[in-house]
Amino acid sequence: MNQSEPVFRLENVTRRYGDLTALDSINFEAPRNEYLSLLGPSGSGKTCLLRIIAGFEKPDEGKVYFQGKDITSLPAHERGIGFVFQNFALFPHLSVFENIAFGFRNGTMNVDASEIDKRVGEAVEMVGLAGLEDRNPEQISGGQKQRVALARTLVMQPKLVLLDEPLGALDANLRGRMQTELRMIREQLDVTFLHVTGSETEALAMGDTVSVLDSGKIIQTGAPDEIYNDPSSSDVALFLNRFNLFEGKLEKGSFAGPFGEVAVKKVQPNDRDMYAIRYDRTKAYKKGQTVPGPALPAKFLASEYLGSSIIFLFETVDRKQVEIDHHLSFGDPDEYKVGEEYVLSWDPAQALVFGKEATQ
Amino acid sequence: MESKVLKPVLAVYVAAFILFLYGPFFVLAILSFQQGPEGGPQFPIIEWSTYWYRHLFGFTPPSRIAPLPVGEALVRSLTLAFMTMVTATVLGVMAAQAFRRRFKGKGLVFYLIVLGMMVPGVLTGLGTSLLANNVIGIERHWWSTAFVAHVVYTFPFAFLVMLAILNRFDNSVEEASWALGVSPVRTFRKVTFPLIFPGVLSAMLFAFTLSFDEFPRTLFASGRDQTLPLAIYGTFSVEIHPNIFAFGVMTTLFSFALLSVYGILMALSVRRAKKTAMQEDIV
Amino acid sequence: MTVDTIRNNRQKSFSQLLLAPGVFWMLLFLVAPIVMIIYVSFWTQTTFSINSTLTLASWKNFFSSEAYVGALWTTLRLWLIVLSLTFIIGYPAALFVGLLVKSKTLATVLLVLCVIPFWTSFLIRVLAWRPMLGKEGAINIILQKLGLINTPIEALLFSELSVVIGMTQIYVVFMVGPIAFMLGRIDRNIIEAARDLGAGFGRIFWKIIFPLSLPGVVVGAIFVSVMVLGEFATSGALSGRKVNLLGNIIVTQVGSLKWAMASVVGVILTFLLAVVVAGFLRIVDLKSEL
Repeated sequence: MNQSEPVFRLENVTRRYGDLTALDSINFEAPRNEYLSLLGPSGSGKTCLLRIIAGFEKPDEGKVYFQGKDITSLPAHERGIGFVFQNFALFPHLSVFENIAFGFRNGTMNVDASEIDKRVGEAVEMVGLAGLEDRNPEQISGGQKQRVALARTLVMQPKLVLLDEPLGALDANLRGRMQTELRMIREQLDVTFLHVTGSETEALAMGDTVSVLDSGKIIQTGAPDEIYNDPSSSDVALFLNRFNLFEGKLEKGSFAGPFGEVAVKKVQPNDRDMYAIRYDRTKAYKKGQTVPGPALPAKFLASEYLGSSIIFLFETVDRKQVEIDHHLSFGDPDEYKVGEEYVLSWDPAQALVFGKEATQ
Repeated sequence: MESKVLKPVLAVYVAAFILFLYGPFFVLAILSFQQGPEGGPQFPIIEWSTYWYRHLFGFTPPSRIAPLPVGEALVRSLTLAFMTMVTATVLGVMAAQAFRRRFKGKGLVFYLIVLGMMVPGVLTGLGTSLLANNVIGIERHWWSTAFVAHVVYTFPFAFLVMLAILNRFDNSVEEASWALGVSPVRTFRKVTFPLIFPGVLSAMLFAFTLSFDEFPRTLFASGRDQTLPLAIYGTFSVEIHPNIFAFGVMTTLFSFALLSVYGILMALSVRRAKKTAMQEDIV
Repeated sequence: MTVDTIRNNRQKSFSQLLLAPGVFWMLLFLVAPIVMIIYVSFWTQTTFSINSTLTLASWKNFFSSEAYVGALWTTLRLWLIVLSLTFIIGYPAALFVGLLVKSKTLATVLLVLCVIPFWTSFLIRVLAWRPMLGKEGAINIILQKLGLINTPIEALLFSELSVVIGMTQIYVVFMVGPIAFMLGRIDRNIIEAARDLGAGFGRIFWKIIFPLSLPGVVVGAIFVSVMVLGEFATSGALSGRKVNLLGNIIVTQVGSLKWAMASVVGVILTFLLAVVVAGFLRIVDLKSEL
């Protein structure tokens, strides 16, 4: 296998459950030695995708390649692909040490006892579990369980590790720490992590590359900043949870929405006409003030303090909520009165426009 | 709820109910200490004695009352119960394991298995002996025809116990094992089986006790050599003596011994979890 | 595609491999015997042997014999009596254990107390009623001591009454268990809410508690019915051969090698059971309830 060849590749993979198509002719691949995050809302088929790569489920159609070989018909235990579960799935009847040594002791690899001790020792060291080797899974914390699950997988030196919402069962505090740790551990090894998550912040923070899955289809793949700044469709913009989205009508280079008509230059293909402006690029003005672009009247509802920024919630006449993200490094925010009418506006050059027109 | 009246009334009722369940056995236990060999199976107690227990084990001088023919029957019953226990549990674990997947006709197979515990013993017994006697033309024995009828009866119990256990089983633990390169067969041995072992133990206990005490199927299907329940039934038609009461007390004690062994094994298999939970409390 | 089907087939065949022994066992040793009973009921019976020439003789024989038809009625009568008694005696006990006892521990202890007798041999439990009900039995002695009767009641033992008492005691727990289980699942808040609305206990019981416990009653009734209809040991041991159930007929017929007649009774018993169980299942859709 050479460096440029993808570590795994899905070719037209389709998976159905009765009438429901969980995966719809997916083509997907990942390079060697990379951190890849896969973002998808619940029900998008992301776990199903992971289980097919792992071999826990079979695709109805299509092929799965791993390190250049067709592994579609290979059972899970012959694939050599690691899997980290959301609930960790530690063996409750075995100690931490035996959990990590499990693959050596029971797999097809012939590793002698002293070698097992050494390698397990190294893995324990790497994930920072020294001193806990003799504990049972129920005697350690959630974060420690996560580390055991990781060590157990990594000690087998797989080229690909699939992580199914690995931080989902941890509390917010620990999640932040584990994010950094996961990245650091991966960088020490020559391994690709495919990290599936429903959290857009997690996906963007973790991945060298981020892919977005929706309704059984990969709808965008790119670097985190690319995804963030330039979502390829209104659905991606919606999942990112950073955009105010408006429906409207796009005709002859002009978008008619709740804020009036705006001239648009660039339009991305989409299944319906949508106008998106990022939360942090939306601003509120007092009535009568001059605005830099379209004018959207809205009532102030509430604010939410997030530490480095404040989120202001507004409601338009047709009861749609609009968010404004004011970063505190840009100075103190204006004061708004609850229930009062303001005008929301933005620089039209920073808006993203999606339209059916562009599809043709 | 008018629990001020209702609850005490029902509490007294339940006490009477439990007396109803236990009463006959207490009377039987008392009468087993009747004086022998002249004392009969009724009140009053002429004199308290352990005569009938000694009589049971052949420690009394010969008298007109023959000892119960239970020695060989006991060995047969234990052997049969053991054979049934192993077969029914293995079948039960296998079928319940298969039921974790979806397959065509699952409902039908479920009813087919459960039918085994629903059909009265008199029918299974009759059918089995018909099949052996008139169709295949083989002799009936406790280790052949009675054995298969016992498994038909106990396999559904083992199956249902295992089904309940496996319903709560976390599949991801097995998948984790496969992902570590461990084959499904070895995964079953090293992960699944140790985790479902308490359930297997319960299934075994069910199968053993049901088979050990099984009467109607055995009556039809066992042929010449008697099992323990058949030996007891045989004494019903002739005059009964307190030795059969003493025997009842002994078998009950034996059942409780068996139950204790099960309890100890269960306790051992969960003790580690408890111990560690306690340690965690201290930490 | 072909690879997938091979793969899926392999999984499927593994599943089938696990299931096959159990299914074969049941087909061979449960279904085949029952089919045999139906088949043999039409065989020709001579005094010493039986051959597979088909005839209705045994069936005619059954329905023309007063003793046999009488056994059918006795079986039905005893079944109805025992079923009603297990329900009437068992329901209040289940109500107490399943609903009124607040402490889970006490409820468990009471249930275990009900189950413990099952570790005594079934036949010994039947036999235990003899010193209890006999002429010089415990009940007669107690009644005499209390001065309620002067001469011992002889009808207590070796009568239909003793069979009913014995069966009720042995099978009542199968009624208590399922009902207590269903009652235990009732959300106490519903009852509290009904009480807050001013409903008395009688009303709460008939409108809420009883309907919710009905699936338990049905399961218990199925258990009890199946066991009572197939009974022969209790009637044999406690009635002094005065009460003959269908089960007793089968035993005697097999004892005298009258296989065809035994099979006729077996078919009738099977039919009876099927009707009873199907009837109970119509009352409550168990699949949606459990």
